[in-house]
Amino acid sequence: MAMRIPLQIATAIIVLGGISGMVLPEYHLRLLNLSLISAVAVIGLNFAFGYAGLISLGHAAFVGMGGYGLAILTTTCGWSPWLAAPVAIAATAISAGLIGYPLLRLRGHYLALATLGLNVSFYIVTSNWIAMTGGTNGIARIPGLALGSFSFSGEHQFLWLALMVLALIAAAAAALHKSRLGREMIAVRDDEIASEMTGIDTTRIKIEAFVLSAICAAVAGCLFALHMRFVAPEDFTYAHSITYLAMLIVGGEGTIVGAVLGAVLLTFLPEWLRFLGTAYLFFFGLLVLGILVFLPTGLVGLGQRLSRRSAKTPLLASARAPEATS
Amino acid sequence: MNALEARGIHKRYGGLAALADVDLTVKNGQFVAVIGPNGAGKSTLLNVLTGLAMPDEGQVLLAGQAITRMATNKRIRAGLGRTFQHGRVFARLSVLENVMTGAAIRGRLSESDLRDFSMEIIEQMGLADVAHEAIMSLSYGRRRMVELSRALACRPHVLLLDEPAAGLNSGEVDQLIDRLAELRAMHGLAVVLIEHNMGMVMRLAERIFVLNFGCKIAEGTPAEIQADPAVLSAYLGEGYAHAVV
Repeated sequence: MAMRIPLQIATAIIVLGGISGMVLPEYHLRLLNLSLISAVAVIGLNFAFGYAGLISLGHAAFVGMGGYGLAILTTTCGWSPWLAAPVAIAATAISAGLIGYPLLRLRGHYLALATLGLNVSFYIVTSNWIAMTGGTNGIARIPGLALGSFSFSGEHQFLWLALMVLALIAAAAAALHKSRLGREMIAVRDDEIASEMTGIDTTRIKIEAFVLSAICAAVAGCLFALHMRFVAPEDFTYAHSITYLAMLIVGGEGTIVGAVLGAVLLTFLPEWLRFLGTAYLFFFGLLVLGILVFLPTGLVGLGQRLSRRSAKTPLLASARAPEATS
Repeated sequence: MNALEARGIHKRYGGLAALADVDLTVKNGQFVAVIGPNGAGKSTLLNVLTGLAMPDEGQVLLAGQAITRMATNKRIRAGLGRTFQHGRVFARLSVLENVMTGAAIRGRLSESDLRDFSMEIIEQMGLADVAHEAIMSLSYGRRRMVELSRALACRPHVLLLDEPAAGLNSGEVDQLIDRLAELRAMHGLAVVLIEHNMGMVMRLAERIFVLNFGCKIAEGTPAEIQADPAVLSAYLGEGYAHAVV
């Protein structure tokens, strides 16, 4: 019973992603892969922002740490990506814990500014530490992932890897939502003083949310490095952090389905608006602004509203279940 | 041994003395009320007792153990519980989930044990019919009962209640009085009640402390407090004594 919703979400991701993979042309498949990578990162951001209420504008730095970690370990040290990825993710998690401990004493705007500063620092370090990161030239020739003779290098092949990872992360996030830790994160966001008064160590919970968020970001970073076979500082700027935040808010913060929907929509939207030429940025901004103003609970909130009026479809039911109390 | 003790508490905010040399003693299982006019320092005293405010001087002891500088969440784990004047619930969690967050602080219970234990408390508090409801769909009075349930789920030895009757109608206040009396008998709780509803205070409290301008001006049984000229002058009003008589 407890695993029903996580399994539903994971199944929906694999089925919908698999069907899309069969019908989409190569270029759109590439976008789909990028959107799935972003979705992994945005689910991570949902732990910090959606659940625990930590406004992070430095999420792309953790994506970058994962990506650079894998790139350095595979190219400079010659490790297998299978070994490099967990090490890069663990290193990012430890970094997030060390950074989070002093940083999470800050709240609201101050935390947002501090995390923004973290992202800017990451960009400066990766741009200037040429011996380690290749500077602005980045790191190329990252080896692809292979399982025996099967290589995940093509867009179709990579899609299955991205879908499996996203399904796993989304299912874990859905399970966590209904767990003790999930409730404590939500409690901390809802009322920090009442949380303390309920015996919750709010500092520990915030650090755990931040580290979980960074782990997902690092997973996304590893996927990105394996997909692009190249990483550079421009892939992990604060603008990317803001985009992740926009994806979460547009999809529906505090929700797993919202995180995935937002990531897919905001990755494809510029493509769908390409016919507008150079004016697309204006309409893209206007559309995002419209969603923020008129749908403050995001697309999932809209779905919930519509589903109250009509019969529930299986998709909406699975979308609502984890967020039933939000 | 006393369940809770505050010795010589001083708390200043800038030039304002919110608490000046205040003592409070609560015996095991005793029902104590702290009364006084608005701004007397009652909520500040609760904040000092729960660690939301640090005293400038003085000591707080819980079951004889000094907790003056202890973090709030550790005090709760050590046996304190508290509700707030305006009722603080976790808006995105259901009634059951709210109570489960409190129940979770005691050891590593499984989810099903947590759920069962929380449901027991919810049933005791008369909230079983709304256990799975979103908290914000409940009336103000019932939300406050959820907050009280959550505090009880932490299994406190001493429960601090900050104006639990505020915003409740007379029927709800009567229910609350009965419920508090039952809970105290059932759990052997010591209770510190801050309340302006004198009917409730006089019915429940065994001992009353009176604060005014941050100082303790009286301490005694309900009968002694009702007859104390300083309390009548500072808070209850001369008419109160005549009304009681």
